[in-house]
Amino acid sequence: MIEDRADAGGLEPEVVEAVAAPKGPGRSRWGVVAVLLVGLLLLPLSRPFIDSYNYTVLLATNGLMWIALASSWNILGGYSGYISLGHAVFLGVGGYVAAVPLFYYGVSPFLTALAGGLAAVALGLVAGLITLRTRGPAFIISTIALLFMFLLIFENIDYLGGTAGLPLPVVPISRDWLKAPFFYAMLIAAVGSIVLSYQVAHSKFGLGLRAIAEDETKAEVAGVPTRFYKIIAFALSAFWVGVAGAMWGYSLAFVRPTLFFTVAISAQMVLMAIIGGRGTVAGPVIGAVLIVAVNEFSLTQFGSSEINILISGVLLVTVLLFFPLGIVGTLREKRLLPAFLDWD
Amino acid sequence: MTEILQVTIFGLLLGGVYALFASGLTLAFGVMRIVNLAHAVFIVAAAYATFFAFEELGIDPLVSIIWLVPLFFILGVGLYMTFFVRIEGSPRYVEMTVLLTFGIAIMIEGLLGWRFTGIYRQTQPSYLTDAYFWGDYIVPAGQLYAALLSLILLIALWLFLRFTRVGYGIRATMQNRDAAQLVGVNVRRVSAISFGISTAFAGAGGAFMSYLFPFFPFRHWQWIALLLALVVLGGMGSLKGAVAGALILGVASSLVVDQIGAGWGPMAFYAALFGILLVRPQGLFGKEAVA
Repeated sequence: MIEDRADAGGLEPEVVEAVAAPKGPGRSRWGVVAVLLVGLLLLPLSRPFIDSYNYTVLLATNGLMWIALASSWNILGGYSGYISLGHAVFLGVGGYVAAVPLFYYGVSPFLTALAGGLAAVALGLVAGLITLRTRGPAFIISTIALLFMFLLIFENIDYLGGTAGLPLPVVPISRDWLKAPFFYAMLIAAVGSIVLSYQVAHSKFGLGLRAIAEDETKAEVAGVPTRFYKIIAFALSAFWVGVAGAMWGYSLAFVRPTLFFTVAISAQMVLMAIIGGRGTVAGPVIGAVLIVAVNEFSLTQFGSSEINILISGVLLVTVLLFFPLGIVGTLREKRLLPAFLDWD
Repeated sequence: MTEILQVTIFGLLLGGVYALFASGLTLAFGVMRIVNLAHAVFIVAAAYATFFAFEELGIDPLVSIIWLVPLFFILGVGLYMTFFVRIEGSPRYVEMTVLLTFGIAIMIEGLLGWRFTGIYRQTQPSYLTDAYFWGDYIVPAGQLYAALLSLILLIALWLFLRFTRVGYGIRATMQNRDAAQLVGVNVRRVSAISFGISTAFAGAGGAFMSYLFPFFPFRHWQWIALLLALVVLGGMGSLKGAVAGALILGVASSLVVDQIGAGWGPMAFYAALFGILLVRPQGLFGKEAVA
């Protein structure tokens, strides 16, 4: 166990410094957070005041979901440096765990969403036990394989609706307020995943993950239980993705394997976390907001999702080659990071 | 018994093509430590090229290999010099190659989808429906040609690595990059050539994919999942392992399809991947743990 930070297995000084957290006046940034939260809490009540109410709330819900997904991905892919390209599998598992009781027994996903998250955690633990025995590329490869294995299984089981999936009933409330419950659910998922990410970043566990990212052998020599930490990080990073999946399926009114178990969703999580700055608390949030905006813009502008895919790829390659630290990381390096984005 | 043998014949023919698809992938990892997630999208791109050469100009898919191989070699060398040279000294190099090739794959997929839409394509050469009969057994002509040509290309690669100067350099780099550099191998040049060979084999593979496996842009993800599983089974970076893994999984997935159902074939790949990670993480022919 690491007791003395300065002795953390030969870590680079920046890392130790970055993790030796409590610093700086936090008041202004809490102000920003409070304003943002109050604004978000009030948004669904704005129906009488804005024309494009449904569109606005839908877009905001979508943004919150991606914040939850990108922040969750970052717990593993950012802090420990283990890239998962199969994180969409947790979205699918969460979606189906909530959809099946609804479809067959009429149980509301608002009650089963947590079960969706826990199922995702359980899958993360089991998959982690097998795939995190090795280091490096074998893990990445297994995450893709895991995703496609689940796609295959879900497409071939009739009880789950096969390739067509399951149609779901709409929430039994007035059409006018239909979007509100999902908005609040995704808000909880987004805030929950940011808080989780923050807690991990500021714990000894998080320090261990960063040590693994820096140099796994050194971390191990320094006493970090690397395998255990990696598995826990994988499982934790699954939770809110599962919850979000449960809500997403319900809000779409259907679940279908090809929609949930797809590399495209994993790719978006990776892209958001990397553009924003992986390994930082605020980075994935910024990345999610930015990419959701870019996607929305290109969809209305070009009207095709293929162009969207192309743009995603170009962005990812450009950021990797020229700003590998992402927005938050690059700003911090240049000492231009505003206080309200500095949560590490 | 007849049925099992027939299925095994189908499986071996498929395995030969899988071996060609995977050879470039394992070569890129063996020589340059590049986990190339874009490998399958190269194959799909080559399949599109073959498809349009056939539809517009009437060029037979198997003849297309003649121009696909040099074209994709040049593309590969170009990609290496543009992207991979920049990340050579990057601290978390293997991880970087994964993310970079992931981005490249998404880019090419987007381009293909934009130009050619998402509809299924398949080249329809005359031999697609022909078959040879060997006793009671059926040998589909198209698959036989693909498997034989794959075998020839793989033997050519083996001879090249074994008996040419550049081949020595490539093998030396595979064994120990730093030592190879010390004894005077131009590692960067060798890496660029190896990546070119890797994509050239993807190009040749595309000719077979165009008529054997219906394709559309997004399809490449499924292929890369299968090919990576196969390469891990054989041992990452090992050509022998990739060929063995391909033949084993070609037969295994054919048996799964025959015994369990058409949709379950790829399960053999995933089961093999997770199985081998449990018992022998370095793969069948891997010398070291995958690190």
